[in-house]
Amino acid sequence: MITRQLSLSTPVFLFIFGIQEVVVNQFRLPGGGFSVFFIFALVWAILSTPEVAALSGFASGLLMDLSPSASGPIGQWTLIMIASSYAISFFGSGNENVKGNPIGVTFFISAAVFITEILFVISGALLGVQTGSFGQVLLTTIGISLWTLVVTPIFLPIFSRLHDFALDTRSKI
Amino acid sequence: MRDGGEGRSRLLLIVLIVSALFLITLDLRGVGVLEGARQGTQTILSPFQRAGSVVISPFKNFFSDVTHLGRTRNQIEKLRADNAKLRATLLNRKNADAQLLQLKSVLDLAGTAGFKVVNARVISQGASQSFSQTITIDAGTTAGIRKNMTVLAGTGITGVVKEVYSHTSLIMLATDPAFRIGVRIAGSQQIGILSGRGSRSGSLQLLDNQTNVKVGDVLLSRGSVANRPFVPGVPVGYVTAVDNSAGAIAQSATVHLYTNFSTLGVVSVVVAASKVNPGDALIPKKPRPTPVPTVTIYVTPSPSPTK
Repeated sequence: MITRQLSLSTPVFLFIFGIQEVVVNQFRLPGGGFSVFFIFALVWAILSTPEVAALSGFASGLLMDLSPSASGPIGQWTLIMIASSYAISFFGSGNENVKGNPIGVTFFISAAVFITEILFVISGALLGVQTGSFGQVLLTTIGISLWTLVVTPIFLPIFSRLHDFALDTRSKI
Repeated sequence: MRDGGEGRSRLLLIVLIVSALFLITLDLRGVGVLEGARQGTQTILSPFQRAGSVVISPFKNFFSDVTHLGRTRNQIEKLRADNAKLRATLLNRKNADAQLLQLKSVLDLAGTAGFKVVNARVISQGASQSFSQTITIDAGTTAGIRKNMTVLAGTGITGVVKEVYSHTSLIMLATDPAFRIGVRIAGSQQIGILSGRGSRSGSLQLLDNQTNVKVGDVLLSRGSVANRPFVPGVPVGYVTAVDNSAGAIAQSATVHLYTNFSTLGVVSVVVAASKVNPGDALIPKKPRPTPVPTVTIYVTPSPSPTK
């Protein structure tokens, strides 16, 4: 069962990561733009159990660390994504206002993006990664969160079906 | 049973977190395997990025154009009439022409300074989720590019080669918060350090408290030992605001960078600089107002009016 889930999930993660690096990164969008892979990883986490979310957070964080444009040391995004994915799943599971409701999921994901980015900045500061002035960081973080709010409803049904297909669950939104 | 499940869950979480911390430690200690992993990702992605760049290029500048719509409305109105006639041709050639123009201006700049350059197309913009400002170009070690080489655009400095792979390179833009460059003010030769701020404006910190900087002063790169990472004399930007805080040890200023980072299509990497410092020769000329021709008509009344 686990082998089947892993063999189906891995290409899905790699495909979305490829889309992010090859297509989405071609555009320099105002306000920092959005990361389709970031949104995908968080949606995947909210639809999964905390254990699976932590594992998928590890995998997605590792891929984000391997992105050539990542600025921090390898492992920084991994650490942040494990914590974020686990927390999202932990707080989202059992809360029908969030999990069963697409609008709830969208707002939850946007808030999660905002908090995760802040965590990245704080951990980056501890690790000596330069992220710019406070104002610029705040603007970029708010920009990315707002973009997430806009694009998440577009991708949510696709990601939900992919999750359902790969993990054989009934968590369609 | 429930306790056992929770215990396993906690154990898994701890194992994953420890693994992440282990990766961070290895990377900070400079273990080559991890650096190779990022390099491998770029090697795998670069052919796809190149293909993606070709396919997406017609739509690439759309969002940038939308952002500047308010500021350039008058210009757009003026150009709209001309564009209607040329639209069909322009649709196919717009992207190629823009890149050609950028290439021409960057070659002019490099030619004046006597720099030997390698030209490359921008094939990917970095994701801003990590707050870094990078681009990927389609030339690497096979074209003679090495780490810490200066990267130019038509109007001035663009950034520095951060990582180099066989057929691609990662460029840290001058807007990156980690970017630092030693600059001098054209004319007065005062020196300072310019830092990126995540946008097109940079922050200048003068090193000498006896000197003054004023709005409009042009900044040029000071150059580095063996011309790496920076060749001397390349225009960086001009001063737009000066901070004269009483408590500051030396003056600081806000600088507008010459390069328009949102429309980068072609850049040049300086692989060899001339032995002669170009001095202030590369400072961009200020645009001259176009003279408006005046036509004067003299009317002389006819001596014998016709009937």
